[in-house]
Amino acid sequence: MSLLDEIDPLKAEALIELNAATDQATLDRAKGAWLGPQGRFTGLMKQMGSLTKAERPLAGKAINAAKGELEAALQAARDRIELASAAPTEPTDFTAPGRRRRLGKLHPLTQVTEDIVKSFRKLGFVVADGPEIEDEYHCFDALNTPADHPARDAQDTFYVETDGRPLLRTHTSSVQIRVMKEQKPPVRIIVPGRVYRRDTADATHNPTFHQVEGLYVDKGVTVSDLKGTVEFVFRELMGPKTQIRFRPHYFSYTEPSFEIDFANSLTRKMGKDWLEIAGCGMVHPAVLEEVGLDPEEWSGWAFGFGIERIAMLRYGINDIRLFYENDTRFLRQF
Amino acid sequence: MKVTYNWLKEYVDFDWSVEELGEHITMLGVEVEGIEETGGAFEGIVVGQVVTRDQHPNADKLSLCKVSDGSQELQIVCGATNFQAGDKVALATLGTAMPVEEGERPFVIKEGKIRGELSQGMMCSGRELKLSDDHEGILILPEDAPLGQAFGEHLGRAEKDTVYDLEVTPNRPDLNGVLGLAREIAALTGNPLKLPDTGLTEAGSPVEEIVAVQLDDADLCPRYNARAIRGVRVGPSPAWLSSRLEQVGIRPINNVVDVTNFVMMESGQPLHAFDLNLLAQAEGRHTVVVRRAAAGEKFTTLDEAEHELNSDNLLIADPEKGIALAGIMGGLNTEINEATQDVLLETAYFNPQNIRATAKQLGLHTDASYRFERGADVGCTDWVSRRAAKLVVEVAGGELLAGAVDAFPQAPESKEITLRHARTDALLGINIEPAKAVAYLQGLELELISQDDASATFRIPTWRVDLKREVDLVEEVCRVHGVDAIPSTPPRGCLGQNEFDAQHDVLAEAREILTGIGLDEAQGQTLISDEAAQLAAEAWVGLEYPLSNDMNVLRPSLLPGLLDSLRNNLTRQTTDVALFEVGRTFAPGPQESRKVAVLLTGRRHSAFWQDDAAKLDISDLKGVVEELLESLGVFGVQFVRRENPTILLLESAELMMGKQVIGHFGQLQPALGKRYEAREAVYLAELDLDVLLQRRTTNKSFKALPQFPASERDVAMLVSEAVTHADVLAVVKKTKPANLVSTNLFDVFRGKNVPEGQKSLAYSFTYRNAEKTLKDKEVNTAHDQLVAALTEKLSATIRDT
Repeated sequence: MSLLDEIDPLKAEALIELNAATDQATLDRAKGAWLGPQGRFTGLMKQMGSLTKAERPLAGKAINAAKGELEAALQAARDRIELASAAPTEPTDFTAPGRRRRLGKLHPLTQVTEDIVKSFRKLGFVVADGPEIEDEYHCFDALNTPADHPARDAQDTFYVETDGRPLLRTHTSSVQIRVMKEQKPPVRIIVPGRVYRRDTADATHNPTFHQVEGLYVDKGVTVSDLKGTVEFVFRELMGPKTQIRFRPHYFSYTEPSFEIDFANSLTRKMGKDWLEIAGCGMVHPAVLEEVGLDPEEWSGWAFGFGIERIAMLRYGINDIRLFYENDTRFLRQF
Repeated sequence: MKVTYNWLKEYVDFDWSVEELGEHITMLGVEVEGIEETGGAFEGIVVGQVVTRDQHPNADKLSLCKVSDGSQELQIVCGATNFQAGDKVALATLGTAMPVEEGERPFVIKEGKIRGELSQGMMCSGRELKLSDDHEGILILPEDAPLGQAFGEHLGRAEKDTVYDLEVTPNRPDLNGVLGLAREIAALTGNPLKLPDTGLTEAGSPVEEIVAVQLDDADLCPRYNARAIRGVRVGPSPAWLSSRLEQVGIRPINNVVDVTNFVMMESGQPLHAFDLNLLAQAEGRHTVVVRRAAAGEKFTTLDEAEHELNSDNLLIADPEKGIALAGIMGGLNTEINEATQDVLLETAYFNPQNIRATAKQLGLHTDASYRFERGADVGCTDWVSRRAAKLVVEVAGGELLAGAVDAFPQAPESKEITLRHARTDALLGINIEPAKAVAYLQGLELELISQDDASATFRIPTWRVDLKREVDLVEEVCRVHGVDAIPSTPPRGCLGQNEFDAQHDVLAEAREILTGIGLDEAQGQTLISDEAAQLAAEAWVGLEYPLSNDMNVLRPSLLPGLLDSLRNNLTRQTTDVALFEVGRTFAPGPQESRKVAVLLTGRRHSAFWQDDAAKLDISDLKGVVEELLESLGVFGVQFVRRENPTILLLESAELMMGKQVIGHFGQLQPALGKRYEAREAVYLAELDLDVLLQRRTTNKSFKALPQFPASERDVAMLVSEAVTHADVLAVVKKTKPANLVSTNLFDVFRGKNVPEGQKSLAYSFTYRNAEKTLKDKEVNTAHDQLVAALTEKLSATIRDT
């Protein structure tokens, strides 16, 4: 039998084996058996020497063609096996839950505070801060609070057991005084922070809670300005369709003073026409005088509200204590 | 403070509905906390009189009657037989909704024909009126029942009215009386205020002949007014009086006391009535002595409570004994009783601070003290006394002695305030015509003394204790004009400045880093127990008068709060907890600082359906700390192992920057963990955020990416347990192998083939040159040097790799 006649049958046999391989090991064995140094096809090429000079070109060409075919088949088998091993053995259930890299959650009070800060910053306000352990001067005296006002009682306010008997600030308004004493107008600040009242914890009270104070002092600041800014901020916070109402009220450090009520789908759901949300007013001239500003030259407004209250309204939370328990099932809802 | 719709209407006209009145009161600055309908039982039912009674033409058992309702005669078909012409009856007119009990269907009287005859109302039985079970016949009223009178009134029931529960702000004591509120409505509507008549019929001798007032402490009682009425008959009040008091939440007692309460609710000025004859005399006159109590003086108020007083308490006394706790409550010894014949009526003004202090000291808060401590009207004293005297005579009889003893040594100077109209406009942001502003203020009974184009000066009425300076008048103009009428102007451009502003963002950044790596943010209580505080600090700041032992100090650390939060989660079956808090802590001084704290326990990742989640360990905590430090831009922190456990931490390390300790972290003492319900290891870290923020570097610059390939060499070596990663790094640093760019610990192993007291550390060292591809030979030279140094300096044994 001529060498030439052996090429095709050998090739056919090799192709069957290469195509049949379903894993890399079998394929490697098949490759060795045919194309390896001791392989049968390699053996065929080694016999070329025994051919006549006339036969050689023809045989060489045929063998090379067959070898090319085998190598192509080998590559195809390799690709096939690689693909098969990369593919999942079972079909994927795309409805099964994914493996998540969970983000932690910011505390809802932080989220609300940040929202408030963002709205004010749009208007050019900056965040200011002050100590939580305050003195009576900044917390009460400078804010025009009468000397015998009940808020000063140890019944209502925490006093610290240390020299000078400082207190835990009952409102963020104390920061107004500190900032106005330090910097010349225009003053345009917001002050988020913790405040303290001597209330036993229940569904609506916690001895610690958060407030935000806004203060703007400049030339020619009016009640109109106050209304415009308050409306802007509360529509940002509570939705664009929120209605805002100002109602005359009394605070010692503002005059005129107002309480702010709002109405939106939330209040309607609660069966209320209006819900109180904040207090505000024009900075009392006595306060301006106290910090060394001439009320004839400067005027300003201030407003303040509770962050817990906003968060409770916004999310429908019914117990203030939830904020301080840090149950992760609670924290992860926001 | 409660008022009723009808009561207000007695003093000022307005044509508002119940809701509108509430709205107007609210917008004047007095918040309406509740609106309640009261009275009005038997509405539509009047005292009627049977004019004729005839047989019904078409029915044996019915009669056809003509009944008068006082203004007209109605034809009524009636089935009862127990009455005759001339009887007074309870007549339900057309449209009357008959009283029903719960569950009964409403029943309204309508015109109709009964057996062919028109019937225009109903004569009611006791049962139909829900007054008795009697349904044998209709109710026959006494002969003297006034024809046409509302049946409810006939029975002494209150008319239909609406009670408003108001929150009066503390600056407006004048609104603690119905008249004060009526005055506000008068200003708003422009209608006149109708003050009740106080014209007196004085029948007796001058009051000075039998009553004297001695003001020992005029600083605490600037005015004391006394009137006397002789020969009263103490008994129940008439229906109009008792029902009105009941409507506003005051229990009727007797006619004399009820008058004092009524006038207090009307005027806002508290009064007191004494049994005149129980007051001891001096020089032949019943004498009131207004004096400070003696130290330790005992006094029994009419609620039968005995109080021990001191010289800060003002007492109303007679020459022998105390008879009233000034401005707060009368004495048991001189109260009006059934046998009282002669009455001494006290109307006074007391120093507000003094009344507040005494009420607080004794824990005795009354309607009177409430009003006096906010500031009564020193100017209205005599008017109120006259009003009350007139009413006492009206409801209890007796004769009023002539005049009053009015001890008023020094009338206060009247206040005058000038309002510049430009100031109003400048503060409110609108233009209000001067004439309008003046009219608003005059409407509130501020007396215009003078004015020019630019300003107006007013005398302030004595009841307006809140009006002290110009801006207070601006507020009055604003209230009456209506804050609604002031337009909102868009926020104005102006940039604020404050140093803290940037810090706020850094704090937010710290929170975002920690949430970004999967921790939830907690907010703990600032007030914790000293027991919890001592876990984390040696000293702390205590509260003078804490709410409870659980909250008696300011937190010196955030960790006790995180442990409380941990317990809250573990007891609710949440066992994987990863929390942080960014918050303030307090140290003696007192000093405040910001800290960030982390708590981890449970599994590294929450359970996933395909595999088991590994438990967290200390490396996870350190990873959080490292990520936080690096992301904030804090470099060069060293972790120094603590030699000994702390109260809080079993094994822990301090974070050092140079010599400064900036925080610590470690594993919670397991025994302590149990107290917080933890069964698994709990890891805690706390860092001083203020210091971190001072030491962060925010400068970032670009380093070119490597162009040439790196070569890696791995080394595993046995070293003593005492050798740390830091020791290895120190040797590497000192040896300075050429082209070494990174050192990476990838395995720590103890056990098989590792002798006791040793551990196997496996490192991968990366060599790279920025300019060229390194040859193996170059790498090997450097690496061999390094391995030799490690072997020598750390007494390491290199393992075969």
